[in-house]
Amino acid sequence: MIVLLAVVGGVTAGLVLQPTVPLDLQPYLPIAVVAALDALFGGVRAWLEQIFNDKVFVVSFIGNVLVASLIVYLGDKLGVGGELSTGIVVVLGIRIFSNAAAIRRHLFRA
Amino acid sequence: MRPDSSASAEVRRADASMSLLVDLWTNALDPGYAASRGEPRRSSARRAVPLAVGLVAASFLVVIAAVQAHARAPAAARAHDRLVAQVQQESKAVADLSAQVDRLRAATGALRDSSLQGSAAGAALSTQLAQSELAAGTVAVTGPGLRVTLNDAPTTGAGQGNQGQGNRVEDRDLQSVVNALWAAGAEAIAINDQRLTGQSSIRAAGDAILVDFQPLRPPYVVQAIGDPVGMETTFAQSAAAARMRSYVQLYGLRFAYARASSLDVPAGVEEQLHDARPVHEPSSDRPTPNKKGSG
Repeated sequence: MIVLLAVVGGVTAGLVLQPTVPLDLQPYLPIAVVAALDALFGGVRAWLEQIFNDKVFVVSFIGNVLVASLIVYLGDKLGVGGELSTGIVVVLGIRIFSNAAAIRRHLFRA
Repeated sequence: MRPDSSASAEVRRADASMSLLVDLWTNALDPGYAASRGEPRRSSARRAVPLAVGLVAASFLVVIAAVQAHARAPAAARAHDRLVAQVQQESKAVADLSAQVDRLRAATGALRDSSLQGSAAGAALSTQLAQSELAAGTVAVTGPGLRVTLNDAPTTGAGQGNQGQGNRVEDRDLQSVVNALWAAGAEAIAINDQRLTGQSSIRAAGDAILVDFQPLRPPYVVQAIGDPVGMETTFAQSAAAARMRSYVQLYGLRFAYARASSLDVPAGVEEQLHDARPVHEPSSDRPTPNKKGSG
């Protein structure tokens, strides 16, 4: 119940406010979204495995987004920006994929 | 060193140094979940707040990204539409202005004629002017002549073409046809209602043929005023017509000419001479320019 309310609240807030992301922050947005998706899939999998922990979820979500943004920033400063972002996308993409596979196994037993 | 630690070193996996991808795959779930398994569950009210905050933040972030992507994609399309509208608006403005120029030119001509009609010398000057204008091609003329039509090869039947698209009429073809018509005695020529004068050019830019920098669209209709019979005979024997006939057979271009009893050729653009001036200025206070330099 609270989960549904929170998701609906977040979506409506995004749709209603329609915030314009500052130009300086725009390179971080896609990476932050990938990190958020990783945290979300991890949370759903943990919930299905009945080991969900709200503190772990929130901390991993915030930590993922911050670390991903920090790595992108560092890559920009070092002049390897695109490559580091690719690395993040590959790592988080693999994690999302295997978490999604685990969720699928839990839901459909296949 | 204790024996069991050396035993555990022995069972170390062979790919231990390459375990990054394996770790990624097997430990996809955040280790924190497993670590916190034994912790006592807190009350649901205390759990709800951080969970809700995290979920709100996560879904907010995803929606922002979606909105951003949605807002940015049509921006390019909008810019394109704006440019297209601007081009159309400016071309319309150019057309309006040239129509205005034509009107004003006609008005000044009429005013000049009416002011010259006052005296005998003025009337003679007016006649002379009219003849000069006729020769320079700055007035619209009508008369019998020859109408030559050139067109690209049909795109569907381009079997003999060496390219995927149909063969096209080029600026060289138009130039040679026009030169052959002048040689055959044409007195006034227009291509697609663009009058050719002494300073006209027939050029190609990209795929378009330009006459006096105005792009033409096929079919190209060349109207030449002159003696129809004599012009047709001479033109039919010209090298340009022979070449066009061979292009018709080789490349499928379309080429035809026919006599016409009445053709209307519009006025050409009046040329502005900036640097050229007569060698002998008949009644001028200004000293004539150095004769040696004019060679």
